[in-house]
Amino acid sequence: MQFSRNWLGRYVDLPDSAEELADRLTAAGLAVEGLERRGGDVVLDVDVTTNRPDCMNHLGLAREVAVLFDRELRWAPPRLVESGERTRDLVAVELATPDCPEYVARVVRGIEVGPSPGWLREHLEAIGQRSINNVVDVTNFVLWETGQPIHAFDLDKLAGPRIEVRYARAGERLTTLDGESRELTPEVLVIADAERAVALAGIMGGLDSEVTAATRDVLIESAHFDRTAVRLGARRLGMHTDASHRFERGADPGACRAAADRVAELLSEVAGGTIAAGAVESPHPEFFGAFEGTVDLSRLNAFAGVDYPPERVERFYRGLGFAPRPAGDGRLRLTVPSWRYYDFWQRRDDGEVWEADLFEEAMRMFGFDMIPAALPAIGPPDPGASAEHRKRERIRAALAACGCCEAINFAFGHRDADAAFPGLDRIGEPVEIANPLSEQYEVMRRSLLPNLLESARFNQRRGASAVRLFEIGRLFPGGEADEIEAVAVLAGGSSPTAWDRQPPVDLFELKGILESLFERFDGVLEVRPAALAGFVAGTGSEILAGGRSVGYLGQVEEPDAPYPLFAAEVATSALAEAEHPEPVVAPSRFPSIAADLTLTHALEVPWAEIRVAIAEAAVENLSAYGLRERYSGAGVPEGAVNSTIYFLYNAPDRSLTQEEVNEWQASLTGKLQRRFGWRG
Amino acid sequence: MTSPLTELAELSRQFAKEAAEVADSAAYEALRVRWLGRKRGIVRQRLAAFKEVPPADRRDYGQAVNKLKVEVETALADLETGLAAGEAPRAPTLDVTLPGRRPLVGAVHPVSRVAADIVDIFTGLGYSVAEGPEIENDYYNFQALNFPPDHPARDTQDTFFLRDGRLLRTHTSPVQIRTMKARRPPIRILCLGRTFRYDNDLRHSPMFHQVEGLAVAEGITFGHLKGTLEAFLKRLFGPATDVRLRPSYFPFTEPSAEVDITCTFCRGDGCRVCSQTGWMEILGAGMVDPRVLEECGIDPDRYSGFAFGLGLDRVAMNRYGIPNIRVLFDNDERLLRQVKR
Repeated sequence: MQFSRNWLGRYVDLPDSAEELADRLTAAGLAVEGLERRGGDVVLDVDVTTNRPDCMNHLGLAREVAVLFDRELRWAPPRLVESGERTRDLVAVELATPDCPEYVARVVRGIEVGPSPGWLREHLEAIGQRSINNVVDVTNFVLWETGQPIHAFDLDKLAGPRIEVRYARAGERLTTLDGESRELTPEVLVIADAERAVALAGIMGGLDSEVTAATRDVLIESAHFDRTAVRLGARRLGMHTDASHRFERGADPGACRAAADRVAELLSEVAGGTIAAGAVESPHPEFFGAFEGTVDLSRLNAFAGVDYPPERVERFYRGLGFAPRPAGDGRLRLTVPSWRYYDFWQRRDDGEVWEADLFEEAMRMFGFDMIPAALPAIGPPDPGASAEHRKRERIRAALAACGCCEAINFAFGHRDADAAFPGLDRIGEPVEIANPLSEQYEVMRRSLLPNLLESARFNQRRGASAVRLFEIGRLFPGGEADEIEAVAVLAGGSSPTAWDRQPPVDLFELKGILESLFERFDGVLEVRPAALAGFVAGTGSEILAGGRSVGYLGQVEEPDAPYPLFAAEVATSALAEAEHPEPVVAPSRFPSIAADLTLTHALEVPWAEIRVAIAEAAVENLSAYGLRERYSGAGVPEGAVNSTIYFLYNAPDRSLTQEEVNEWQASLTGKLQRRFGWRG
Repeated sequence: MTSPLTELAELSRQFAKEAAEVADSAAYEALRVRWLGRKRGIVRQRLAAFKEVPPADRRDYGQAVNKLKVEVETALADLETGLAAGEAPRAPTLDVTLPGRRPLVGAVHPVSRVAADIVDIFTGLGYSVAEGPEIENDYYNFQALNFPPDHPARDTQDTFFLRDGRLLRTHTSPVQIRTMKARRPPIRILCLGRTFRYDNDLRHSPMFHQVEGLAVAEGITFGHLKGTLEAFLKRLFGPATDVRLRPSYFPFTEPSAEVDITCTFCRGDGCRVCSQTGWMEILGAGMVDPRVLEECGIDPDRYSGFAFGLGLDRVAMNRYGIPNIRVLFDNDERLLRQVKR
């Protein structure tokens, strides 16, 4: 929001340095984001936060400057020369809704519409406002001076003349000042004359009652509108104006009369005319009563962590309009000024203003720089577990150690992609976003794989000869079901050079990555073949934990891919972190003896069965065994396969002899041959 | 008397020792004459000694002396080749400048790296990590945080709404509310995770990541907020980092502050990135609004607290020099594998 240094200078003596002014305002919560010298003026670009509509005008900002630099604020009440004619004989006002609690109407007659004097034009143009004519410029000036939005009607064009504030009727139309013909709805608050709507309350005037070169008599409107009513109306019409911006944030409910008087004073000065006596003014409503609260200086100091000098605290509150009164024991009784009404509107149940709201005023005037930094002494570490975070970190470390890169994708995706993979524990339809950025992002994901596959394609399009990605993220199973955290791995391809001799990723490499992940969490990966959406037939399997399906893996159905891609998705709940790590087994200090067996068996015999058979044989001192090689082809009968299995014998307390190992191995070989051996 | 066989074994060792000391062709020639000389060579003499060996031992002796002869001849031939190749001692022909074969090493996403560092810093200060859902309702995301319905403060948090009336959390602050409702002070937590806002351009992504901290206890002061942030930001951005707090406005803190650090690009001298100010806005913070404490059932007259929040994506972009936020979510392995710390 732009402010003119010269304009501010009307109300307060400014420091010579614009930079100093900017720094002090910034340190008090009115961030000056730019200083621009224009002609003989400096324009300040101030970021005024939504809670400070009182500073969205020059007088309000000057008040802050006056307090910060301990200077006088120059602001005299308007001096009016009124005619014998009474305003209430010229216009009637009726408020048909409590959403306009206050309406002040004044009339100035016999004005001459024309160009504005130089000072007025310069002030407005300095802050980027266009000068239109002396009447419009005065209303605009008062808005930027006091913050009170003003509207001027051509009195002759108002039927009655009568003003009614009411909600629009269904189907009612109004052409606004910007030339748009708008259809109104009953949630739009309007100003109407005796016949029709003539302005959008708190947003914009109507074209028909606009002040033109021919206008002689004007009706000045200075009113207060409910901020929610203005916000909803403006939103419904898709409008945002200087007036609505202020009303939505909360205008000063005590400013209506003074601002109307100020407009009348300036109009008679720059456009001539006579001011009708008095104003038509609704009775000042009860609920704008003064808010009060108490600041206990010792509590303020304890809250801030610094000792503030009491006399400066009091001076700050006085300058900001809080009228401090001593209340004994180092306490001050304060009254919130009307221009801060909405900032202090939420009070305690007993009606008192929250002390923190009052503390803020003193703290920001002193600036946060004077508060010394300290670390709190709270005692032992927080009892929270952080277990989920630790688990994710371990998953990341495990998968990165397997050569995978962590991806992060959006948590939403296309509806079609939702059906592409099985997902975990999905229920009914996906959770839909009511206002998606595009159809590409319309439902919450129920599998990490569609977006992760997109990431793989992104890499492939850029020539990646291999991809190894993983992602950890939440799935949204449908309805209000709890979110599920999952981890997905997607890999394929191989290194581009033979020197680095990495074989292309296959299903068992992917499975190995998952086995190693499960092992980190003291688990064993169990799988069961399954037909799964999105995977090449015959390659898919479910991942089981305690007999329950917790995920799946397989070769991705991706016919156009430059190399096969393999993917898995598992609920991280299956990776349970035990409170204490498993104890290790001390290895034997005696030598081991190795043995091999090449078993020719039918292709249909699953390795899992052979493995279980070996385990069940409970061979003495067999410390390790596993698959060394699988071979089918020349020398192996059709329909059979050679599985070469290695065995390692080792005793914890002695050296084994070759003879005893031969005996055990022969007995095991016999059992395996009898059960699985190829019979043609 | 030494047996002839033992004597041969001793000679074999003797030859190996002498051969190892040969450094040039003169020494080679001397060695050759000494061992293989036609008349007085050691090997010739041993061959001639054959007839002095008792007949019963002749077979073994013959084999042993022949073995010695082959050994000496082979070794001398190898030595000659080696000397011819430039007088250098024999070495395996291995090009050690060939590239090593590296195990494939993966990488953690830049955002996760930054998050882990921040968690480490605050774990050291006694904080724990709290969790909460990404789909939230209006109460936890707005109302309990003192955003009244239809308040302009909501304009700053453009929200994705779900068809069922819930919404995607616009910040991680709902986790603070959930924690304060579930536990009594003292509380020191970090909440981190994905957040969503209706925004999509070079600087904004509809999904991004936040970390927020919350400390609630008796006697927490604004000075403690400053001290904690200074300790944190100096650890994260380096000890030369200055920290500046400016009053600002958030509905859920009172007073609120924008927190700036020394610009990480120009170190405070002023540059294009910091609009010549020397400062970079890095996080928002403040004292927990008493209305929020009260809403969570914590007595604001007895307890006070502070909270702060920052965008992890921005910190990651800053740390790794990533120019635009969308690049963070391309998941290009060529970029990800460069992230080492």
